Amino acid sequence: MSKKTLRKITQGLFLLLFLFLFIQTESKGNDTLGYPVKLFLDFDPLIFITTLLASHGQKIPLAFFLSLSLILATVVLGRVFCGWICPLGALHNIVGSLKRRYPQKIRAGWYKAKYYILFVLIASSIFTLQLAGIMDPISFLIRSFSLSIFPLLNHGIRAFFDSIYNANIPVIVNLSEPVYDFLKRRFLSFTETYYLQAVFIGSLFITILSLNFLERRFWCKYLCPLGALLGLLSRYSLLKREVSEGCTSCGICTSRCQGGAIHENNDVWNNTECLACFDCDDVCPQKAVTFSLGRKIHPSMDLGRRQVMLSFASGMLTVPLVRSTPFSRTDFSNSVLLRPPGSLEETEFLKRCVKCGECMKVCLTNGLQPTLLEAGLEGLWSPRLIPRIGYCEYRCTLCGQVCPTGAIRKLPLEEKMKTRIGLAMIDKGRCLPYAHSTPCIVCEEVCPTSPKSIWFEESMVKDRSGKEIIVKQPHIDLDRCIGCGICEAKCPVGNRPAIYVTNIGESRSKTNRLLLL
Amino acid sequence: MQRREFLKYSAIAGCGLFLGERLDLITPAEAAERYDLVVARGAGKSASFITKAAVDAFGGMKRFISRGDVVVIKPNIGWDRTPEQAANTNPEVVAAIVKLCFDAGAKKVKVFDRSVNDPRRCYKQSGIADAVSSLGAEVSFVDDRRFKDVSIKGQVLTSWPLYTDVLEADKLINIPVAKHHGLAKLTMSMKNWMGIMGGQRGRIHQKIGECLADICLVVKPTLTVLDSIRVLTTNGPQGGSPADVKRLDTVIVGIDQVGIDSYGATLFGMKGSDLSYVKAGAAAGLGVMDLSRLKIKKLNV
Repeated sequence: MSKKTLRKITQGLFLLLFLFLFIQTESKGNDTLGYPVKLFLDFDPLIFITTLLASHGQKIPLAFFLSLSLILATVVLGRVFCGWICPLGALHNIVGSLKRRYPQKIRAGWYKAKYYILFVLIASSIFTLQLAGIMDPISFLIRSFSLSIFPLLNHGIRAFFDSIYNANIPVIVNLSEPVYDFLKRRFLSFTETYYLQAVFIGSLFITILSLNFLERRFWCKYLCPLGALLGLLSRYSLLKREVSEGCTSCGICTSRCQGGAIHENNDVWNNTECLACFDCDDVCPQKAVTFSLGRKIHPSMDLGRRQVMLSFASGMLTVPLVRSTPFSRTDFSNSVLLRPPGSLEETEFLKRCVKCGECMKVCLTNGLQPTLLEAGLEGLWSPRLIPRIGYCEYRCTLCGQVCPTGAIRKLPLEEKMKTRIGLAMIDKGRCLPYAHSTPCIVCEEVCPTSPKSIWFEESMVKDRSGKEIIVKQPHIDLDRCIGCGICEAKCPVGNRPAIYVTNIGESRSKTNRLLLL
Repeated sequence: MQRREFLKYSAIAGCGLFLGERLDLITPAEAAERYDLVVARGAGKSASFITKAAVDAFGGMKRFISRGDVVVIKPNIGWDRTPEQAANTNPEVVAAIVKLCFDAGAKKVKVFDRSVNDPRRCYKQSGIADAVSSLGAEVSFVDDRRFKDVSIKGQVLTSWPLYTDVLEADKLINIPVAKHHGLAKLTMSMKNWMGIMGGQRGRIHQKIGECLADICLVVKPTLTVLDSIRVLTTNGPQGGSPADVKRLDTVIVGIDQVGIDSYGATLFGMKGSDLSYVKAGAAAGLGVMDLSRLKIKKLNV
């Protein structure tokens, strides 16, 4: 078996593992998921290093240290992760294989862009701004899948089978339903999920995959900051490429090289760009290429001192640029920003959240949604609960379990049930027993705390004809309410609920308080 | 075989079959008195034992389930709570009924509820999914496509989307749990039908008594088993704290939903007439609220 075949099989297996863990990022009713669903993020050194820097090394989840093994592997073997393991890389290969023609000329110098991107991310993280998740390939992939691609597939497949079911075509429906059942059990999400900005996030993903039509693995060669980090780490790796006398300088390896590492008809090989895919070895008509392990003097890596300085400076300057908003004031909090239970205090939260979307994927009710600007530009795509879409399930702790960086703490159930993410308030102008002399107790019925956080005052009201009616008017017990939002989610005054949750009183904040004690 | 002989044997066989069926009906339990309600209490006994004793005293499951029946069982699986918290039907009670149905010859037993909390957690945490799927019952989550508008000649409701499987079942068994409720005061068998209602069912709280009676006009269970093994006395219908739960070790079996709920009220020191839906049900002629008019068998097992 050629190295190339072996590489393709390995890539396929890792992609399948990734997809399997992705699909398992969903509750089956137990308190835990049963699989290490954030494994790929645990192994991601870019997320690890930037989180370590941004949070100044505090409260780093232990699992993160797994990424040290990838750092070590890269130092020794080079960018094998990019060529053999990265699931986004495998997708790039798949899409890239649709492009028939190979380039005659590579875009010289463009490869440096990804290093500058990396330096911007590293520099800003030193100054506590965590932006790496936006471009980190694993985070990007999970986010795109969770919030857009997977919901889109679900929607399409369900619509297809539902239309057969609803049309009730005799024989076909008998065939389609078992298939649908199987898909529902194994692949589809439990219910259809919808996310704000799905179109935006999905389009970005498709655009980046489409760059393969411009040039194969465009993202990996020119944009990927993780690739850049691994490139730096592989600077002195032991992977060695040698070309024997038989080379006729035909240039086929240069055009096939996945990382754009081979220049000037085989004379120059940049090991920091090599993805260890072994395509050059495979394609060489003279069988002149061999890879081995050993020390070798590599060509210098000239990123340009001025450009490096500039990108570091840009990273630094991004910090005040992004933060010069009212969000930086400690006495300012956007009332709609309901963070998942266990979230750290907002500034600490933002230092860690990499917007991977794991918490939104696992959320039982689909209530966790990506922000746009509700938490400032810095908080773009971070999770916020929108109770009207889905409430926070009282006895569920999954979001904290899947968060890779500890931005959402893993809470024991007892603590979760006492963690306040906000407080409910009643809109007396819309509430049925207050405004319309009509009985309704739904908010109290669904309130999960014991004793309930909603209590009734029996009041005598009059209807239009002057008849006296006794209704139970709800009140909130601010000491007990944890802001889970089930009252808002189930309120019959649906389109603008008569009871709603804002983040005041959230446990994690010392400033966004309401009660004296 | 001669034609004459054939006719003779056929006739005998026919009589045998006919009589057999009749004879089969006259089981010892059946020969005993018929009751409107059976209340079985067994302090310290297992929930499944009490359940079985109650059904047996009510004539045994064969009285209700025939060979080949498709049976729908509707427990309360509304909440993400554990059995000890008593917000859902006791899993042992449900399992006991499932087993009795299969023993009586049921072809298929379906168990489901339209949960209020996340259904995956409700099914799992209630213990019901695990308890009955191991017995061969079909446990499924509610499929939104299977709600069909049903016309109702009610006092308030003219139609509501109800779950097709319930309406199409050969036999229907309601297994509610008796517990406290903020508006309805108590929730038992009549209110358990909210779990087969589609759409925005929360709206019916605006006229809860009439609406529940209206639903009961179109949903006629073969049998009702009221789980009162553990009951929630406060903070219903979810409870949450062990302090909310009282152990009664009681199972009540009957057919008349109004009668059962009227009796159930007495477990909480109330009367049937304290409950709006029991009154509305009695007024609509769905059953008997006045316990003195019901033949109730109380037994200690």
